[in-house]
Amino acid sequence: MRRELHAEWTKLRTVAAPGWLLLAVVALTAAASAGVAATVTCPPAGCAYDVPKLGLVGVQLGQAVVAILAVLVIGGEYGTGMIRTTLTAMPRRAAVLAAKAAVLTGATLAAGTAAVLASMLAGRLILPGNGFVPAPGQALLSLGDGPTLRAAAGSVLYLALVALLGLGVATAVRESAVAIGVVLGLLYLFPIVIGMFADEGWRHLLYAIGPSTAGLTVQVTTGLRELPIGPWTGLGVLAAWAAGALLCGGLMLRARDA
Amino acid sequence: MEAIIEVDGLRKRFGRTTALDGMTFTVTPGRVTGFVGPNGAGKSTTMRVILGLDMADEGTALVGGRPYASLRNPLGHVGALLDAAALQPSRKARDHLLWLAHSQGLTARRVDEVIELVGLRSVARRKAGGFSLGMRQRLGIAAALIGDPPILMLDEPSNGLDPEGIVWIRGLLRSLAAEGRAVLVSSHLMSELQDTAGHLVVVGRGRVVADTSVADLIETASGGRVTLRTTARPEAMTALARAGATVAATGSDTLTVSGLPAERVVTLLAEDAVPFSEVAAHRATLEEAYMDLTRDAVDFRAAGQEAAR
Repeated sequence: MRRELHAEWTKLRTVAAPGWLLLAVVALTAAASAGVAATVTCPPAGCAYDVPKLGLVGVQLGQAVVAILAVLVIGGEYGTGMIRTTLTAMPRRAAVLAAKAAVLTGATLAAGTAAVLASMLAGRLILPGNGFVPAPGQALLSLGDGPTLRAAAGSVLYLALVALLGLGVATAVRESAVAIGVVLGLLYLFPIVIGMFADEGWRHLLYAIGPSTAGLTVQVTTGLRELPIGPWTGLGVLAAWAAGALLCGGLMLRARDA
Repeated sequence: MEAIIEVDGLRKRFGRTTALDGMTFTVTPGRVTGFVGPNGAGKSTTMRVILGLDMADEGTALVGGRPYASLRNPLGHVGALLDAAALQPSRKARDHLLWLAHSQGLTARRVDEVIELVGLRSVARRKAGGFSLGMRQRLGIAAALIGDPPILMLDEPSNGLDPEGIVWIRGLLRSLAAEGRAVLVSSHLMSELQDTAGHLVVVGRGRVVADTSVADLIETASGGRVTLRTTARPEAMTALARAGATVAATGSDTLTVSGLPAERVVTLLAEDAVPFSEVAAHRATLEEAYMDLTRDAVDFRAAGQEAAR
């Protein structure tokens, strides 16, 4: 497994695209968070905003870039036929997928941490000017606050799990364009479909099983009681999606001709 | 590890087409084995099965007595070039070899050695996507040699090479075999292997139609026939046919005679006073021998090439 990891790490760092995409994750996440923070205001009478969720809203944009990066990690090899060179050099297919997953997770965790910290910094700089005041004795968007820390760390893990979901789907479908469509569909269509249902039971069910809706509950710090699923359980639902996709992809990678 | 490839009874179907139909042969060390057959005969599929990329429905393929997929550092056992385009175009040539080296626990030093060996030093830091087919072919050969393997397997390695490149690869293959390695080289052109291969595995429709040395194959194809050069073709044909020979006109003044030894042909012609300028034992070219063998095994005669898989 050490050799597979070394090879996959060398692959990731010797083409330009992954580096640019990781940079884009940080830039887009922070920019979207800052942009939203700049447009909301809190009147002096107080407001009902969930400040950590608001400050980390850019994750919803950054996840798309993470998904694209993840798909390209293996989809690019299928597109060029290099997958056959890869599997000739490393015939243990499960180990190849595991190595790709590990390298991708590491890179996403690093970029995700930078993206989340930059978003929070932007929020701390912009939100006070728009009328947001911290609770007495606390700083705004402080990692010293338990729920805020959970929202921040959870967002980084959320991005890593989106990456694993993308890798699993791309391994299964072997076609970058199709895989990107499937993953972005899973991430962005659930919230839309939920809006089409009037029945509360259905809405709650779809919210609790949607990879992005359930996963992003990890950012929620207020009104948790009204949500159909808890923050860590929600992230667990996304983890289950990612594990399922990787398992499917891995089994198909092993069973099919390359 | 022993430098030997053993392919035994491989069968494989893709949907309704039978790609491999009992493919069986052995590649032994110290010589270049030519793997020839028309397009679609199963050469590439056999190679993919040997490398564990495709799974056979039946049969086994072993390298050094073991399945390829069980090898710890496979490129140290088998070097293969199946498809020179199987790389990511945005990666520099040297970096392509670098990840391959890392996958085998090798270092950048070996990368620079093989770059030198295939003559790509001046372009090693350029992106492989900008390479000509010939340069990619050299890069693929560098990749095959990276683990210094005792077994080499190359699919149509002269494709896209310029004449200088073709001479280079022939010399390289011969010297690799002379070092005691087992070398399997596929081609759909027999002439390409004429000077390189000592042994031939001829395939058609997914199975072996001949497994023989080059010398034996030409001997068989020549089949004791006699070539006769004469300006009096009709008279010669009459005289020889009367004696029971089968005579075929092969040129404006040449005949190919089978069924009679050369000496008897001379006697018969002298008796009838038929003039002739030359009588010689017919020597088939390798190309002719190959055409004889694969006549029934061509799937797509004059109907385009097999779509590249």
